[in-house]
Amino acid sequence: MFSPEVLSNLIIFVPTIFAFFLIFADTKATEFMRVWTLVGTAITFALSVALLGTYTPADGGIQQVVAKEWISSWNIYYRIGYDGISLTLVVLTGFVFMVSMLASWGIEKHVKGYLILFLILETGVMGVFFALDFFLFYVFWEVMLLPMYFLIGIWGGPRREYAAIKFFLYTLFGGVLMLIAMLMYFFASASMTGNGIGSFNLLDLAKWAAQGNVFSPGLQVAGFILLFIGFAIKVPTFPFHTWLPDAHVEAPTPISMILAGVLLKLGGYGIIRVAYPLCPYGAQYASYALVAIGVVSIVYGAFAALAQTDFKRMVAYSSVSHMGYVLVGIAVWKISEVTGAAEGRDYWLMGMSGAMFQMIAHGVSSPGMFFCVGVIYDRVHHRDLNQFGGLTGLMPRYSGMAAVIFFAGLGLPGLCGFIGEVFVVLSAWNYSKTLAIVSASGVILTAGYILWALQRVYLGPEYKGPHPEAITPMTSREQAIGWALIVPCFALGVYPNFVFDYTDKPMAKLVRSLDDGYQNTPKPHSELQTTQK
Amino acid sequence: MDSLGNTLANLLTIAWLLPLFGFVVQILFALKWWGRKSKTGAYLAIFCIGAGFVCSSTAFYKWDTQAGHLVFKEAKPAATAEVAAPESEPTAEASDEHHHKKSSGKQTVFSGTFYQLAQFGDLKISLDYYIDSLTLAMFVMVTLIATCIHIFATGYMSEELVEDYVDHQVHTHDGGHFHRPGRFYRFFSYLSLFCFAMLGLVIAGNIFQVFIFWELVGICSYLLIGFYIERHSASTAANKAFIVNRVGDFGFIIGLMILWTSFGTFNFADQHAADHSVKPGLFSMVTRDDHGEFAKTSGGKDVVLTTQQDGHGAWQAPPESSPRKTIAYTLLIVAGLGVFGGCVGKSAQFPLQTWLPDAMEGPTPVSALVHSATMVAAGVYLAGRFYPMFTPEVLLTIAYVGCITAFVAATIAIVATDIKKVLAYSTISQLGYMMLGLGVGGWAAGLFHLITHAFFKSLMFLCSGSVIAGCHHEQEMPKMGGLLRKMPITALTMLVGVIAIAGLAIPGVYLKFWWYIPYLSINSDHGYVLSFSGFHSKDAILATALGYTKLNPLHFLLFLIPLLTAGITSFYMFRLWFYTFLGKPRDQHLHDHVHESPWVMTAPLLVLAFFAAFCALGGEHGNLFQTLSHSEPSHVEHGFDGSQSHTVSLPDSHSLHVKPAEGGASTHDVAGRSALLAAFIGMVISYLIYAKRVVNPDDIKRQAASVHAFLANKWGFDDLYDVMFVKPAHVVAKFAAAIDKFVFDEILHTFVRMGIAVSKWDRKFDEGVIDGIVNLMGNSTHSLALSLRNVQTGKIRQYVTFIAVSVVTLFVLLFALYPKG
Repeated sequence: MFSPEVLSNLIIFVPTIFAFFLIFADTKATEFMRVWTLVGTAITFALSVALLGTYTPADGGIQQVVAKEWISSWNIYYRIGYDGISLTLVVLTGFVFMVSMLASWGIEKHVKGYLILFLILETGVMGVFFALDFFLFYVFWEVMLLPMYFLIGIWGGPRREYAAIKFFLYTLFGGVLMLIAMLMYFFASASMTGNGIGSFNLLDLAKWAAQGNVFSPGLQVAGFILLFIGFAIKVPTFPFHTWLPDAHVEAPTPISMILAGVLLKLGGYGIIRVAYPLCPYGAQYASYALVAIGVVSIVYGAFAALAQTDFKRMVAYSSVSHMGYVLVGIAVWKISEVTGAAEGRDYWLMGMSGAMFQMIAHGVSSPGMFFCVGVIYDRVHHRDLNQFGGLTGLMPRYSGMAAVIFFAGLGLPGLCGFIGEVFVVLSAWNYSKTLAIVSASGVILTAGYILWALQRVYLGPEYKGPHPEAITPMTSREQAIGWALIVPCFALGVYPNFVFDYTDKPMAKLVRSLDDGYQNTPKPHSELQTTQK
Repeated sequence: MDSLGNTLANLLTIAWLLPLFGFVVQILFALKWWGRKSKTGAYLAIFCIGAGFVCSSTAFYKWDTQAGHLVFKEAKPAATAEVAAPESEPTAEASDEHHHKKSSGKQTVFSGTFYQLAQFGDLKISLDYYIDSLTLAMFVMVTLIATCIHIFATGYMSEELVEDYVDHQVHTHDGGHFHRPGRFYRFFSYLSLFCFAMLGLVIAGNIFQVFIFWELVGICSYLLIGFYIERHSASTAANKAFIVNRVGDFGFIIGLMILWTSFGTFNFADQHAADHSVKPGLFSMVTRDDHGEFAKTSGGKDVVLTTQQDGHGAWQAPPESSPRKTIAYTLLIVAGLGVFGGCVGKSAQFPLQTWLPDAMEGPTPVSALVHSATMVAAGVYLAGRFYPMFTPEVLLTIAYVGCITAFVAATIAIVATDIKKVLAYSTISQLGYMMLGLGVGGWAAGLFHLITHAFFKSLMFLCSGSVIAGCHHEQEMPKMGGLLRKMPITALTMLVGVIAIAGLAIPGVYLKFWWYIPYLSINSDHGYVLSFSGFHSKDAILATALGYTKLNPLHFLLFLIPLLTAGITSFYMFRLWFYTFLGKPRDQHLHDHVHESPWVMTAPLLVLAFFAAFCALGGEHGNLFQTLSHSEPSHVEHGFDGSQSHTVSLPDSHSLHVKPAEGGASTHDVAGRSALLAAFIGMVISYLIYAKRVVNPDDIKRQAASVHAFLANKWGFDDLYDVMFVKPAHVVAKFAAAIDKFVFDEILHTFVRMGIAVSKWDRKFDEGVIDGIVNLMGNSTHSLALSLRNVQTGKIRQYVTFIAVSVVTLFVLLFALYPKG
């Protein structure tokens, strides 16, 4: 029906168009506006699925690039396109927004404003995943920030303002670092563009980085550190993670679902799409630190989750732990000291792919967990883990669904959480034995905090907290959300090729070009290499 | 051959997937379609597993007639078998000849791929199947026992067939009993899921797939232990089981990481690509030479993987000049220990044995199926399956772990009074025996015991279930007594199990009767022995252990402790039986209400009792043992001489049966007779104390109060782990949460406070200084403007002059200041 180029533009801007028409809606017509928004997100999701059909998995490169000159004096283009990596995340985004919209029915306050911001947020996220121009990427990144700030700050819980400002400060700080790195690369690429201005084209920048002689090692290291911190805040990894529990706890349920399901993935995506390709030398240089940070995130997040008494906070920390696998998987890049070539490149490729899968899997299971928290919170208005119990008897269907979703988070085989985690862990041994062992210990802790929470909330004879009279079975809308989240949990867990079919080729290409980039970059002097080990 | 492989794969796949189908239908539709009071869901589950049994048996029959030729000797008529049996006299000569025949034939393995999970470059992960006689034997055993237990459970769980079930063990806050809807269908759906997971574990063609189903049986165990979710003890036990298993899995994952990184494959079997190239599987890469040694590098520290095929298809190490894959020998040990760590968790071996007794919180059929016969045996199964990868050092560890486990658990069983707990500890102890058997080089012996134990232990658990149901959920043996009259079938079938596990036998009995049963041939080293299955398998293990200690005198405890444990086993098992079924009723009220169970529960007992008695018929020359040893890894048979590499030696399985030239008994006979003696002593003591009451057991308890307390406290493992691991984990967790709150957030807050302070100062600066300056400037501008008003004269000529002067001035300034060039 539409050409792929039109399709990708539609995916980005359909939400905005729907948001625009909402402006004219009557403030009191809340039901209409919700349905309207749901239709908007559903169309976006349908379009993103349609886009899957236009993709050629056999070709690992970026496909269907649209480039329109935007600010010519700065060489800024409106340049979008996609490969398997961004495409899977686009579909995930479309899915999570649609499901979250279904979960937004309970929002009663300023419905119109909420829905408009919700839709603009979707545009921002989609834009980031499609953007191939660094400037455009940055613009969408910032576009996403403001709606989120208001969605937490206005529709959040009691400490919403604190959480919103914290979220804002962290993300803004990361954005500024990204801006600096962007300008560094812009000016450093001036010699390559032909007109002497410099380039924001991520594809070109990556290509030149792979050539090795364009960006100096120093630039790559500095650039990587800036970009990494910017993206690590979003992931979030230890020690940049403390905004996350607050933001999650205060955000309304659907916003938590989006935050966990999609926004965190932007961090991982940024590392894969921007930080690594632009600074292969810097990425390799920092690899040990990255893996270590990832491993610490896994273990630390799991321990912190174990200590929580707030149900939602526990789930938030589980995100920190689960996203740690993403970083580990990306960073297990071992090189031969002699040649500088990647050693056991297939294992690194496995780690990268595992990280990618983990992002998708967590994008399904984590919104599921937040949804489960939301369902019970909507009824009894508290989240104290020690004041639940016996929900299985009172809400059997809900409890069954929650069990499946939490088991997916626990990494049970057959459900989505398993593949990503275990592939990452298996790939890590090739990089570092010690770190691999520590990362594997996460399986014990994860089982610990999830099973303990399940026991306190769902098992036992009686509900122990306030408002027992409010506990009613799931509504059909809630059941629909539950099923929508459970089905992909199983599908991805049983047949991981739903993701790997799309990501295999681009990942292989990325790993190859990074490998080249590192080898081609002239090493400053031997000292640098010895200190890094 | 290929068509046979396909047939087997198809049959076993059907057997494997049917329970999954049953599970999905039950969990989604049972309540809607049939309601809580219907047994239809259970019948579906029974159909699924029963059909699975039929498929498995058919597969076994096909395999045996076309490849194995062990049981169904080319479907000869009964008369031939009759002649065949007496022919094979139990002499060393005959048995030698027999073994020779076996070793000349190559073990038959059928392998293939279901579908690929992922591929990264040369690395492939897929779901495969690997079918040999061990797989088949396990399939038949699991489906048969599971079918019996399913049928038993339709009776045992029938009180769940109500809308309003009263759980007498749970109290609500107002003091009443807890009411809930019955969950009959749920129980059967979990059982089906479990069967699916267990069969998947057995059919798995690579170690990663084993891990997948390993976790799935773990979660089924969690669901079934915690079936009474309202009971805090049940949900805690379920958590404990899963988490302790995960501790073992941590080791398993480390093993997987090493294997994956060093070998680049998880597959057991060789992989045949479409272009007829062959990629070696794990087992092919660690081929031993004729002396049982790995191919090693010149330094001897690394093992060279045998990745190249010679002209005959045998795997060998590539020459030194070509690129070779190696793995450090120590790393191979660590990998083996890691995988074994998983087995320790799953099979409740020391030091992770603590979860299994608690797992008795689950309904009794679960204890019978999951926590004695099948799932816990998965650890032993994996240790057997993965045997080629274990170095002698790993095997030594396995042997000691098994030995310690067997002993510790047996001692605790002496003081346990809960009928299920006694059986639970005996399960741990018997699993220890199996591990010991594997560890001392008795590959087939360990797995032999796995199968026989599965039958007699599931039998005994079901008997205990029958007792518990008959006694209205009383599990304490001190309240029972004299139940023989009230429930004779249960008592007698239980006796069969007790004799089997105790390893009792009547030697020298010559029963012509057996020969008339077609296809069965019996004989043994001890002449004709009337005994039940457990005798033969324990015999095989102890014989190998004795052979092992003869080669490695340092490790003599590996024979002595199991021998002692055999006596203890006999003692506590008979104690259980005497306590429960003989003597006077100790609780008259309870006794009056006891009744024998209905036929749906007793019929499975009879079936299982038959197999518990006769499945090992013929001992090590019998069909079961021969079927298993058909799949024995090729390096096991000839033993291993470890004196050169300074490790332990492993016995040669033939020599065990050989009578020494200077006369006397063979190793096998010595071990068998000692074990039998130990078992008799145990039984007699038990009889004197608990049946004859020669001494009052309570007096003994008082005399040895401290020992009793120590044993009753399960050697203090639970307390120890609580102090060592559980509490510290919670402390670390609190610490981590506190770091977030008081360090990271505090840093952020400090920055924010600084920012606010700066901006406050900034505001003062703004208002005081900058505004002051601006105001000053504003004021002066104002006054300037006022003064300039005088210039505004309204005279055109004056304006033009001003403009011209200004323009000239600007131009002059421009040219003066503009940079040249």
